[in-house]
Amino acid sequence: MSDLIRIYGKSLTTIFLGLTALWIVALIVVPQLRMIERAFVVDRYSDEAARVGVEINRSYTRVFTIDQELDRAAAGPTAPTAPSPFSPSPSSAKPSTPSAFATPSASSGGAVSTDPDRTATLKAEKAELQARIAELEVREKEVKAGGTGYALGNFTSMSAIHAKIFLSTLMYALCVTILAFLACYPVAYAVATSRSSERVALLMLGLVIPYAINELLRIFSWIMILEKHGVLNRLLDSLGLIDLAAGEGMRFVASNGAVFAVMVYAYILFMVFPIYNTIETLDRNQIEAARDLGASTWRIHWRVVLPHAKPGIAVGAVMTFMLSAGSIAAPEIVGRGLHPDWFSQVIYQRFFESNNWNQGSAYALVLLVACVVFVLGVMGLFKVGIRDIAK
Amino acid sequence: MRGNDVVLSDVSMRFGDFTAVHPTDLTVREGEFFSILGPSGCGKTTILRMISGFLDPSSGGIAIGGVPMAGLGPNRRPTALIFQNLALFPLMTVWENVAFGLEARGVPIVERKRRASELLSLVALDDQGHKKPTELSGGQRQRVAVARALAVEPAVLLLDEPLSALDLKLRQHMRAELKDIQRRTGVTFIYITHDQGEALTMSDRIAVMNQGRVQQVGTGDEIYDRPATPFVATFVGEQNVFQGRVTATNDGQAVVDTAVGPLRGTSQGTLSIGDEALLFVRPERVSLMNGATASPDNRIDAEVERRDLEGSFVNLHLRAGNHPISVHLTNAGSGRDVVSGGQRVSFQADDAVVMRAGEFARE
Ligand SMILES: Nc1ncnc2c1ncn2[C@@H]1O[C@H](COP(=O)(O)OP(=O)(O)OP(=O)(O)O)[C@@H](O)[C@H]1O
Ligand SMILES: [Mg+2]
Repeated sequence: MSDLIRIYGKSLTTIFLGLTALWIVALIVVPQLRMIERAFVVDRYSDEAARVGVEINRSYTRVFTIDQELDRAAAGPTAPTAPSPFSPSPSSAKPSTPSAFATPSASSGGAVSTDPDRTATLKAEKAELQARIAELEVREKEVKAGGTGYALGNFTSMSAIHAKIFLSTLMYALCVTILAFLACYPVAYAVATSRSSERVALLMLGLVIPYAINELLRIFSWIMILEKHGVLNRLLDSLGLIDLAAGEGMRFVASNGAVFAVMVYAYILFMVFPIYNTIETLDRNQIEAARDLGASTWRIHWRVVLPHAKPGIAVGAVMTFMLSAGSIAAPEIVGRGLHPDWFSQVIYQRFFESNNWNQGSAYALVLLVACVVFVLGVMGLFKVGIRDIAK
Repeated sequence: MRGNDVVLSDVSMRFGDFTAVHPTDLTVREGEFFSILGPSGCGKTTILRMISGFLDPSSGGIAIGGVPMAGLGPNRRPTALIFQNLALFPLMTVWENVAFGLEARGVPIVERKRRASELLSLVALDDQGHKKPTELSGGQRQRVAVARALAVEPAVLLLDEPLSALDLKLRQHMRAELKDIQRRTGVTFIYITHDQGEALTMSDRIAVMNQGRVQQVGTGDEIYDRPATPFVATFVGEQNVFQGRVTATNDGQAVVDTAVGPLRGTSQGTLSIGDEALLFVRPERVSLMNGATASPDNRIDAEVERRDLEGSFVNLHLRAGNHPISVHLTNAGSGRDVVSGGQRVSFQADDAVVMRAGEFARE
């Protein structure tokens, strides 16, 4: 502290410390604390509160749809428009929905909207909905006034199926990490031990260029490879292994294998670079010395290269594990709902479909804790300290 | 040829269109301390890497103990290499380092430990086995590298400038120690260095290289007293060099007409009258004439310019016309060698070498 003041002077030091404090508070303390707090908040009437909340949201959505339709009617006959993306899907309409006039979303756009009767009906429905919303909001206040408290309910109420998804997600993430390591170690080794002129080209070609593309696009491109009439099946077809025309295309998408493949691909960079970085610092004479002393290739890797690369492997494993455990895009897109859920998808559903933010927070916290445990476990296993990793 | 001689026949190495080693024949005898001496970039490491199997010669063949080495990788040759930077395994303990070659051969751990501690006591590191290499001093690391290489019981130990990273005192100490280890184990050492002092003190025989060619192979005395080429003459030790034309030859001697007058020396190879030639004489073979000296073969009149005290000897810088002459005198003490003004210096024809003009060693 006094060192800093001596080097930079009082005002600069104040700015430094202020920015650091802001960083810590805004990026670390507040979000984490908020989530942790939410995780332990249990609504006494959580069931009813949730139901009321869902209904209020749904009613607002419906009012919005009606407003749009009325606007269109007022603007005169126009070309048919696509159904509003906000219209509730019929399957999610609950019996408790008060609106008897709830119509299938398909009718909310269309050519008949100039009909004055229809306009009147819509107006009536809107008025009714608004009344209902007011009523519900009062009710919601009552329910919430029933109070909330701190308890472990959000955790203990985790259903068996969610617990199972949680555990299998950790297993899958571990599999992805291991697969990524198996794929990356040889690549990192080859690049790191290649001659320096070739190295840049190899790195650019193999790793940097693919990663210049957005993650979502990369996932979609993999679907194009894996889908029934995709690149892979057509390749097999042209090799004569399968007959696409006879419908023998293999179903690669929506399988664990496909999700793993895509995830390994998506996070390979986070594994390759740390390993590459550490192997690059290995004195190549050590590899030659081991060979000269009679060691086989396998032993050279096991005794010389791998131990040296350990910190890099640990960093790569931690990053790949965290990213794949928390990944939502790959399982959502590649899994196409047919794949067993990833825990991140469950968390998403808690937040945005069940409208149970408290439990969502609790689930997220569970995942976070699992990841931290994994990090500590990996560090213990590899006997590397934070300091080695920082290097 | 004896048991484990290393024989290079017509071995060369090209990298693209650059020839690092020109076709070379070389025989290193079993149990010999053999040095390869040459300036940086002359191809020493390249030769060593060909012997150890990391490089395949572009032509020719290498045999050890009569067995051709072509096609055998470094792990299957009876050689062990000590790298310029030692290349100890930093994450293993000292004894694991030493026992690594045995581990690679599947020797059980008890036996490995026993052998490692034997070797560590050979190099006087008895109780350092449990340490990491980084916890040792430079000289100790050096000895670990030697023990690690000896553990695989190689027929030939290849050392690539192993002392270059050490400071002067330690280097001198390690010279004696390496020589001692070589004597006790009887293993053939092929030792690379660009330090002539190292080569002269340790070696049974020395090969002097320049620009990919072996210029001369011989004992230290042969190299020092009877250099075969101008390069060897000037690379090893100091020389006074006189240039001129041969005016007479007889009986293995030649007279060269130089800027300081005709000088007589022992001729190397065939020289005929009129050849452009160089006469080399070492500063310590030149002496000051003080009347009493009986008729020397060569005498030169010169002016003393400077006297440098080097410790055990004194370096006198003289000038004969435009030609500098250096004379080393034993430090006799009491300033007896303090001389000035005009002096006459002399040397015997036996101590001077005359050879056809050629390439010098660059300073
Ligand atoms: N792999 C290679 N590719 C191209 N040229 C090389 C290669 N290895 C060595 N050379 C060249 O061959 C020549 C001899 O190299 P070498 O390493 O044998 O020299 P050295 O005598 O060991 O020198 P130093 O004393 O500096 O270690 C050098 O000019 C070097 O540039
Ligand atoms: Mg070298």
